[in-house]
Amino acid sequence: MADKGYLPKEKIKEFVEALGKDAAVYAPSLEGDTIIFRQYSPDKEIALDRPANTPPKGAIYPQSETLFSFEFKKDQATPQKMDVELKADLDFPKAVVFGGRPCDARGFTVIDRVFINPEASDPYYERRRENTTIITKCCNGPYAGCFCVGVGGGPASREGSDVVMTEVDGGYYMEAVTDKGKAAMSLPMVQDGASYEAKAKEANDRATAAVRNPFAQSAEKVNAELFDSADFWDKVIAKCVSCGACTFLCPTCYCFNITDEQGIMTGERVRSWDSCMFQHFTLETSGHNPRPIKNKRFRNRVGHKFYYYPEKYEGAIACTGCGRCIRYCPVSVDISEIVGYLRDPKADPAQWAAEKKDAKN
Amino acid sequence: MSEVAAKELRIVGFLCNWCSYGGADTAGVGRFKQPTDLRIIRVPCSGRVDPMFVVRALITGADGVLVSGCHPRDCHYTDGNFYARRRLEMLKRLLPFLGIDDRRFHYTWVSASEGARWQQVVTDFTTRLHTLGPLHKK
Amino acid sequence: MSTQKLKEIITKVLPDVETVICWQEGFDKLNVTPIFITSPEQVEKVVWNAACAQNLASYLPSQKKKVAVVVKGCDSRTVIQYMQEGLIDKDNVVVIGMPCKGIISKKKVQKAINNEPVEEVTYTDDSIKVKTPSGEKTIAIKDVWPSKCATCQYPTPIIADHLAADAIQSDKPADSVYADIAELEAKTLEERWAYFSSQFDKCIRCYACRNACPMCVCQDSCIAETRDPHWITQRMNFDEKLMFHMIHSLHLAGRCVECGECERVCPMEIPVAKLKKKINKEMKELFDYTPGVNPEDKPPMFVFNVDEAKIKEHKL
Repeated sequence: MADKGYLPKEKIKEFVEALGKDAAVYAPSLEGDTIIFRQYSPDKEIALDRPANTPPKGAIYPQSETLFSFEFKKDQATPQKMDVELKADLDFPKAVVFGGRPCDARGFTVIDRVFINPEASDPYYERRRENTTIITKCCNGPYAGCFCVGVGGGPASREGSDVVMTEVDGGYYMEAVTDKGKAAMSLPMVQDGASYEAKAKEANDRATAAVRNPFAQSAEKVNAELFDSADFWDKVIAKCVSCGACTFLCPTCYCFNITDEQGIMTGERVRSWDSCMFQHFTLETSGHNPRPIKNKRFRNRVGHKFYYYPEKYEGAIACTGCGRCIRYCPVSVDISEIVGYLRDPKADPAQWAAEKKDAKN
Repeated sequence: MSEVAAKELRIVGFLCNWCSYGGADTAGVGRFKQPTDLRIIRVPCSGRVDPMFVVRALITGADGVLVSGCHPRDCHYTDGNFYARRRLEMLKRLLPFLGIDDRRFHYTWVSASEGARWQQVVTDFTTRLHTLGPLHKK
Repeated sequence: MSTQKLKEIITKVLPDVETVICWQEGFDKLNVTPIFITSPEQVEKVVWNAACAQNLASYLPSQKKKVAVVVKGCDSRTVIQYMQEGLIDKDNVVVIGMPCKGIISKKKVQKAINNEPVEEVTYTDDSIKVKTPSGEKTIAIKDVWPSKCATCQYPTPIIADHLAADAIQSDKPADSVYADIAELEAKTLEERWAYFSSQFDKCIRCYACRNACPMCVCQDSCIAETRDPHWITQRMNFDEKLMFHMIHSLHLAGRCVECGECERVCPMEIPVAKLKKKINKEMKELFDYTPGVNPEDKPPMFVFNVDEAKIKEHKL
């Protein structure tokens, strides 16, 4: 099996349909002006010319999924007794995520560290992840707000992907990263691609050079004192409207909520994405809320991605720089700007406090 | 709960405690024959009926929704039904815009003494819904 | 130039208020972002151009002290609606009005430049010049403005303590405001259902539309997130998405000031405002009420008439 291939553009649909023979293929579909990862069907139009509005995260980690269903059953002999019957279905079909970007694919590696580990693996995520082949399209250049090179990625990064494809000469040069990827490339539409390799490398280098790195001048570590300064967060986050667009569009956010959606005698335990930007995220049963205001909530989002997660996972950053949270933020909050302040070697919490206007006479 | 018969539709009725619920009771006591598709939810006043009750019912499986309160000027709480009238009229005009036939939603006024009128309302509304058929295709 | 005038006004107003809410340059030249000015040095950062789309009046109800806010004509309706509903104390708000000839929709501009990264943008009165890696392109603002600008009736703020430029009269016919709604009304029930289902199916329930909405004042107490009452489940299906949008629309009945923030911020480009506009159209017809134009008005769902002139009893 060759691990270098070439797929002409006109064969994309055919290729995806062939992949779909024994797997559910999630591909970026154009709906109006929006590109959404949907399970492919012939009526869908695959759009590869720009990154999708949403990352393909949901293909492996659905926005809401039933963990199990339950049914209460009355015991006829002893009416006081109620039995509960549980049903869980972990038999997930094979899947392919086609046409995500390198930042999207890297997003899965961030979630992997949390959901697939020897201490406590999440069977739902783990099985879907095992069953899924990720075929990624490298970026031709940057898009509004994105900064993958600043967080260890790049427009041709292979991390998390099984196959990477680069746009060259009216088609895509494909390279297998894993055996799963090789298997996908063994389909007959994939032609020999060795001759395109140099061109693809050139295109990828060009794209990499064009992406901004907001952290080029900054220290690796977050300034803990500034991070704990309420004045700092007051300043940078006053404009945030506390919606969940940034977290729901993020390829790495994995926090969830579990709810029982119950009828009278039957119901389901549902796991759904949650957003740390919502007030309810940390609301406790007692009524106490450790993060009652948006400053604290936003601090958590930045801290999780650039501070706590790297501390726990050997410096890995829980952000792939896809830029969606910046691009689609209602008020253009720029996380890279905020992290830039936090990593500034000359960062001075006192200065942020001082900038606050004193009480007027 | 017994199985809903195949031919029967699901109609939800929100009835105010003071007039329409009494009207329905009067119809029952008078043994007026009525179709059995309607399931009644008693509310203190038609002013208690949030338009979202209607929407939620339609989204989650009702084929039609009926709201009934005291006649205008007769509200037990003086002006509850005046507010209801504005809200329900707004909803009545919004539903078809969304693509839901507004004939599936009806609001009216029936007093506690109008058993015969109640019978008429239920019969006519149920007949109308049977001509429209079920909203949710199973 | 009006930016200069704006800066002068802000400098003049600043000593009397805690904060002046205005716009500054965002992460690229196509984006602005709100700035909360508390010291005179920050005034230099102020920008005014066609990218200033955000409705800054939305921040008013959450402000605890006296503030000044810069508003466009459309945004000024928010201030008035807040006054109608008693959500702000006008004595604690200084309104700086910015007459506006139209803003750009970032999404439309990005489409016009094939989603290329923006290197430089030059704003003039009625056009923008966008520089991208593949070259420069001049785009007329009216080709990329949001639909609200195409039918704008209030280019000059209706309420303002200071005006940063000369007042402008609207040159758009008043009956054009609901033309898009009338167009949908002309379709069949099935067509409209197909349209709205495909649109709302894109929703990811991020609640950006809700949180950016100036009239969604419940915010953290929104029933879309409470478990008690359990109006809506956490399941990610069409019914729940539709339910959320109905919650949003019905709670805005007769209150929506048509600032278009919900549509502007939607990352999935759902025409979220359509349902609200439809309700507004009906409010106009039933009660001759337009939200956010007269501080003395009362929102139609807050009041009633014993005899409603236009509400007829429905026959079965």
